[in-house]
Amino acid sequence: MSEFVIDFDHVWKGFPLHRDRPGFKEFMVNVHKWAERRGEGDNYFYALKDLTLRVERGECVGIIGRNGAGKSTLLSLMLGTIFPSKGRVRTMERVTPLLELGGGFHPDLTGRENVILNGVLLGLTKEDVLKKLPGIIDFSEIGEFMEIPVRTYSSGMYLRLAFSVAIHTDPRILIIDEVLSVGDEEFQKKSKEEMIKLIKGGVTTVFVSHDLHAVQEICHRVLWLDHGEMVAEGEPSEVIKKYREIGIVHPLSGH
Amino acid sequence: MRLDSYNLKRDRDLLWLLTKKETTLQYKRTILGIFWSLLNPLLLALVFYVAFVVILKIQKKDFPLFLLAALFPWTWFANSISASTVSLIANKSLIKKFPLPKHFLLTAGVFSQGVHFLFSLPIITLLVYSYGKTAHGIWLLGIPLLLLIQFVMTMGVSLAVSVINVYFMDFQFIVAFLLNLLFWITPIVYQLDTIPESYRFLSLFLNPLTPLMSSWRELFLSNKIHWNWLVNAFFSSLVVFCAGLIIFRRLNRRLDEVL
Repeated sequence: MSEFVIDFDHVWKGFPLHRDRPGFKEFMVNVHKWAERRGEGDNYFYALKDLTLRVERGECVGIIGRNGAGKSTLLSLMLGTIFPSKGRVRTMERVTPLLELGGGFHPDLTGRENVILNGVLLGLTKEDVLKKLPGIIDFSEIGEFMEIPVRTYSSGMYLRLAFSVAIHTDPRILIIDEVLSVGDEEFQKKSKEEMIKLIKGGVTTVFVSHDLHAVQEICHRVLWLDHGEMVAEGEPSEVIKKYREIGIVHPLSGH
Repeated sequence: MRLDSYNLKRDRDLLWLLTKKETTLQYKRTILGIFWSLLNPLLLALVFYVAFVVILKIQKKDFPLFLLAALFPWTWFANSISASTVSLIANKSLIKKFPLPKHFLLTAGVFSQGVHFLFSLPIITLLVYSYGKTAHGIWLLGIPLLLLIQFVMTMGVSLAVSVINVYFMDFQFIVAFLLNLLFWITPIVYQLDTIPESYRFLSLFLNPLTPLMSSWRELFLSNKIHWNWLVNAFFSSLVVFCAGLIIFRRLNRRLDEVL
């Protein structure tokens, strides 16, 4: 039985290419037209083109492709921080991002205050975050530094704390963008194990990485994106093999 | 999916935490901390006292009270709008990393300025007594009503200015100018009666802040709810809110492309 928790239906996502800002007057006069003109015209760069994708509950899907292939755009659409220009994106469950870690931290708030705010931003009630607080502190190895502002943290501590919050929020759908390198070697190992534990435990995962070994090791299915389009999809070993043969060869030919 | 009780509770927590963050961060690295909320309106009062009573020698004997009864609510409005104008840009990192309803950030900003306004209420009360007047039970009805009306009105303006400023950063300077203009065309340092009678009607019906600020003053100075003004302010606030919401929704969908 398949149950889809992420559903992309012919999704296009464009960004204005030249930021040619119309004058204020023009804007006020054309407000109505302007908002409707979304995603049309030559001045648009399409980061994703006509992508249809479904992810089943419990599945781990790897996304590979060169820089600028549209991988991050795809994740942002899943997360709901950006909206499609055309087509439809649906997610049936809460999406937990492991993207740029610590992005939601405020330097002047303490570790504890930041954890609580972050946990709630990630979809938990404050009560639930407080319940999970000991586990988060324990995993992050931050200890007594929890009570001081995070601006005094080392970058490693910062990332460790952010990672710990995210994985302790009972993720339903995890989207991961190259975060296997958190902190020192020991913590990297620990965080990788923790993620694999979550994935094995049935958390739906979308995993973007340039680390093809990790992708092959963890994912059930791999999607290869190039210039916003799907090039291949399927068995990790097959797609990665194809990607290795062709994908690396023609990066310069397009320009 | 969003309407179950867990998510409602979570949204409430989020709004509370964002408001707390806005309120406390402002004073985080200061010595006096939250006492600035009390001190700020007092200092503002002092400036106006020097200007109007010491220098201009206004004869009106309860002028400080007269002024502050409208100036404090105005400060809540003006500071909220200034904060909202840059709110989406200032919170860009949150908006881009979490699927966060953007209006939460604006609401938190207006709430947080509202907290500062609440701090100025005891000052008004003190002044009322110092001029030999008394507080009145009607305040318990009037204050919540006016708080609500002003909140709705402020949110309406906030929704509009916040998104417009993402597309055109020039807008924040226009907002600053408009706030200044609005301050002087709204009866705050003068009373509504000062406006020539033929324009009074215009001010009451074209400037939604006129009935609102006049209502605040009427409440604190005369212990009365001026129902005509209040109803006028209420409907104006609804109009402003709907207009703001329409602009916000129109521009919100494309926001991710320019933010």
